Amino acid sequence: MITFVLIGVLVAGGTFLIQQRSLVKVIFGLSLWSHAANFILLSAGVAAWRAEPLADRTAAADAADPLPQAFVLTAIVITMAVTVFMLALAMIGHNDDTRRMPETGEVHDR
Amino acid sequence: MSAADLLPLLVAVPLAFAGLTVLLRRHVVGASLLVVTLVGVLVTSVVLIARHASTPVLASGVGGYPAGVAIPFVSDTLTALMLAVTSLATLATTAWLIMTGETRYRFVVPLVLLLVAGVNGALLTGDLFNLFVFIEVMLLPSYALLALTGGWRRLGVGRLFVVVNLVNSAVLLIGVAFVYGTAGTVNIAALAGRGVQDDRTGLAVAMVLVALAVKAGIVPVHTWLPRSYPATSPGVMSLFAALHTKVALYAIYRIYSVVYDGQASWIGIVVVLAAVTAVVGAVSTLGESTFRHAMAYQMVAGVGHILIGVVVFTQASLAGGLLYLAHHVITMAALLLTGGAIEHTYGSHRFDRLSRLMTREPWAATVVALGLLSLVGLPPTSGLWGKLLLIVGAAEAPGWQAWLLVGAIVLASIISIIALQRLWSEIFWGPSMETYRTDNARTRISEPVPLPDDVRIPARMLAPGTAMIAVSVAIFVGIGLLSPVVDRAAAGLGDSTAYVEAVLR
Repeated sequence: MITFVLIGVLVAGGTFLIQQRSLVKVIFGLSLWSHAANFILLSAGVAAWRAEPLADRTAAADAADPLPQAFVLTAIVITMAVTVFMLALAMIGHNDDTRRMPETGEVHDR
Repeated sequence: MSAADLLPLLVAVPLAFAGLTVLLRRHVVGASLLVVTLVGVLVTSVVLIARHASTPVLASGVGGYPAGVAIPFVSDTLTALMLAVTSLATLATTAWLIMTGETRYRFVVPLVLLLVAGVNGALLTGDLFNLFVFIEVMLLPSYALLALTGGWRRLGVGRLFVVVNLVNSAVLLIGVAFVYGTAGTVNIAALAGRGVQDDRTGLAVAMVLVALAVKAGIVPVHTWLPRSYPATSPGVMSLFAALHTKVALYAIYRIYSVVYDGQASWIGIVVVLAAVTAVVGAVSTLGESTFRHAMAYQMVAGVGHILIGVVVFTQASLAGGLLYLAHHVITMAALLLTGGAIEHTYGSHRFDRLSRLMTREPWAATVVALGLLSLVGLPPTSGLWGKLLLIVGAAEAPGWQAWLLVGAIVLASIISIIALQRLWSEIFWGPSMETYRTDNARTRISEPVPLPDDVRIPARMLAPGTAMIAVSVAIFVGIGLLSPVVDRAAAGLGDSTAYVEAVLR
């Protein structure tokens, strides 16, 4: 039950933050969204109909499904890579609403 | 060890070369590895198409796990056809990037190789979660390519592109989670028919399809596409045009045909959306005042046309939709690369800064004219067969749907003719050009200077676009050779039993 409330809170907060103007807030919003997605993945295979995967207490047949956990691991890695890239974008393009070219420090000479 | 077990190499080799080209920084090495990889993928896909005539489906479970548990790589005629079309367009674009020197920018070669690995993976995989991963593998280098080349506005649209795709990936991931939660598997073959048998699974897969629809650029969630693509460089836009939306469309075709057997109860909504997408794309082209913005809206119109094939879901409509997909990729690459060559030489793709190129650049004008004819569906190009077979297919839809879809195709074509005629007269007719803007690599903003008489587009920059439009004309002449392949691909979608059996054997 607590997972579902948590997912609701994360999605609501993420949706609010994504609609802000500042890219850094958008990035925080996206992080909340991806956490919500990860919890949904976990609840799909673990909380829904299986018990904790503890060796002494649960038979292997009833233990949590490892596959969603592998999904979540993969998703976390991807989200982190994109977050880093977006933080870099927030840094180099922070004044791109103006007509002036932002200082990116790059030179494209061939 | 069978031939099917070699399928993962189509992903592994570009990935390995991407790593290698980061280490070996010599431009010659990088460019030749890139070209060799793409030629390899193209040849492999042609071999696969020939092989699928006798063996309809090749499937391989990675790691030798039992079927149903292993992550499958699957190739059938449709996959091989998509591999051939995307690698051909990528090869032409790569040649153009090498000609303009854009591959010399740091990391462009490894990024394109990563992009190719992601695209091949997304086309070959038979697993929904793996599809998500490969779409991310495809998007990550795209974010970087967007930031590397193009005008300085790329930084602003880079945000748009990344935020849209990231939110959308979260939706895709949540959809995959719901599929696993309701069906207990994310293997597409194991989900066969489950969309109509179990409403909960049907809803979960529909969520995956919604996410793919955003990536494909369907109205009303298309607006990110025409705002972000034209801000990149022409070469990168050509890559994105050939790969991103088309991979999403391929996934929609595959998932809808296997999971729903082509008979979801909500398909009427998508019929309307496909018709609206085609018309909105065509109408929006009227309002644009640069070459590549106009092309971006033509891509939206193209997405609507391609979708018609899958929403009607008959043998004729699927074949028409797939042929239109192949034709659209090839034509778009020809137009974007030739327009890009004009932009590279004359410093702009705005209608008001280009005029009377007809007399200065007869060769480029011929290629663009053929490309525009192909877009609206007139001979002597592949567009004629694309539109014709699509209309024949759409006419098989039940009741009002047939009227709506055929009407949308005809209306979109007429509006596109008007819009593209304006593009043509602004750029290729009118008073002769007096000034142009030389390309300033650092700021991309420079003052107009008098245009000397001897400025011409170098022939080497026109070659890739010319090659692509030649393919389009060749399809017009040799439709008899391509049509059986497209029919086989459509038959594999219409009856997915062979696909399912090969994966779960």
